[in-house]
Amino acid sequence: MSQRSENKLSSSVDEDLSSLMDGELNAGDVGKACARWREDPDARGSWHLYQLIGDVLRSEDLASPLQRDQAFLSALQRRLEKEPVVLAPSPAVAHERSPRRTWTGAAAVAAGFAAVAGVLVVTQMSGSSPDPQTYASAPSVDRLSSPVQAVNLQAASGIEASAVNAQVIVPNGQLIRDVRLDEYLAAHKKFGGSSALGSPSGFLRNAAVTDDNSR
Amino acid sequence: MTSTDVDAPLIERVKQGDVKAFEMLVVKYQRRIERLIGRMVRDVDLVPDIAQETFIRAYRAIPQFRGDSAFYTWLYRIAVNTAKKALVDLKRDPLVTESARAARDDDDETSRVENELTDGETPEAVLASKEIAAAVNAAIEALSEDLRQAITLREIEGLSYEEIAEAMNCPIGTVRSRIFRAREAIALRLRPLLDTREGERW
Repeated sequence: MSQRSENKLSSSVDEDLSSLMDGELNAGDVGKACARWREDPDARGSWHLYQLIGDVLRSEDLASPLQRDQAFLSALQRRLEKEPVVLAPSPAVAHERSPRRTWTGAAAVAAGFAAVAGVLVVTQMSGSSPDPQTYASAPSVDRLSSPVQAVNLQAASGIEASAVNAQVIVPNGQLIRDVRLDEYLAAHKKFGGSSALGSPSGFLRNAAVTDDNSR
Repeated sequence: MTSTDVDAPLIERVKQGDVKAFEMLVVKYQRRIERLIGRMVRDVDLVPDIAQETFIRAYRAIPQFRGDSAFYTWLYRIAVNTAKKALVDLKRDPLVTESARAARDDDDETSRVENELTDGETPEAVLASKEIAAAVNAAIEALSEDLRQAITLREIEGLSYEEIAEAMNCPIGTVRSRIFRAREAIALRLRPLLDTREGERW
């Protein structure tokens, strides 16, 4: 770590990290300190050491070998990579929502319309369900003729693909929810349980149990 | 700076999608969380797994964290619940881990001790931990009175910079600098200790 002494910048960076861990860094400098932590292994090393020092000062049995702490973080990083990025609704950052997510919401809504339109059009064509009420209550697939299923499959897989691309689905079926998507679904609840929407309606139902983790 | 939770700035960044800010919090709390879980779960093999699960659960739930309590208090509760759930699962399915099975099949004292000496508790790891603790203590001893007082008031007494400034009768900027210099002085003694081992980098 001899290059540390050559790098005059690292001193002020480390002082910022020192203040940050005490919650005493100016709000305007937090982003810069976090960027250094991301980019500079020395900054990460200092952050770890300062935290370790605090722990050991409070209790000697918290002294932990470096490799152990590193292995723990590496293993966790591998798991965090599979997690959807957290975006908590906050008025201050609402306009900063990434374009990708915005696109996902729009795509999901569009694909939803496509699925419903598909059902309506093909149902009408096949004439299997003359009662207009049935359109609104979204008839289940088994009551429809086979062309409908083909259309549904296409529309549904479209939704699924766009969602997977944007990484809003995770293996355990949890979903970081887009507020506007929620509004859309609330307004169109009657389609929510319909098998006409295929697997997406399955994962949307799962998304309702996100509170499970805070217990 | 009147924020009650020292972690608030990092949590805010996590909520805005900065995963790395969450990792910074992990580095801060992983030792305390592992010790807490280690006190609840006898099988040391399970401790890192449960600690990992704790942080993943915390990450998923962080949008719901409102800052009504300190972040660590909230994390502590998640750790306790995760450990309890792991213990229940273990009772339901005792073959979850190799060591659990070994302990059941062969319950004499020697094999149990062997089972407990897994990665976290090998003699080498215990020695390394003792070295770190000794180096920190020696470094604290060697600090000037001002630096030692500043870091002690912060890390052990948990005072804010403003309170330390009042206690030490100096400007806040001086407190900031003294705490940093104290940390750097201690870190200076720890770095060679850590670098000689495999030279892993963060």
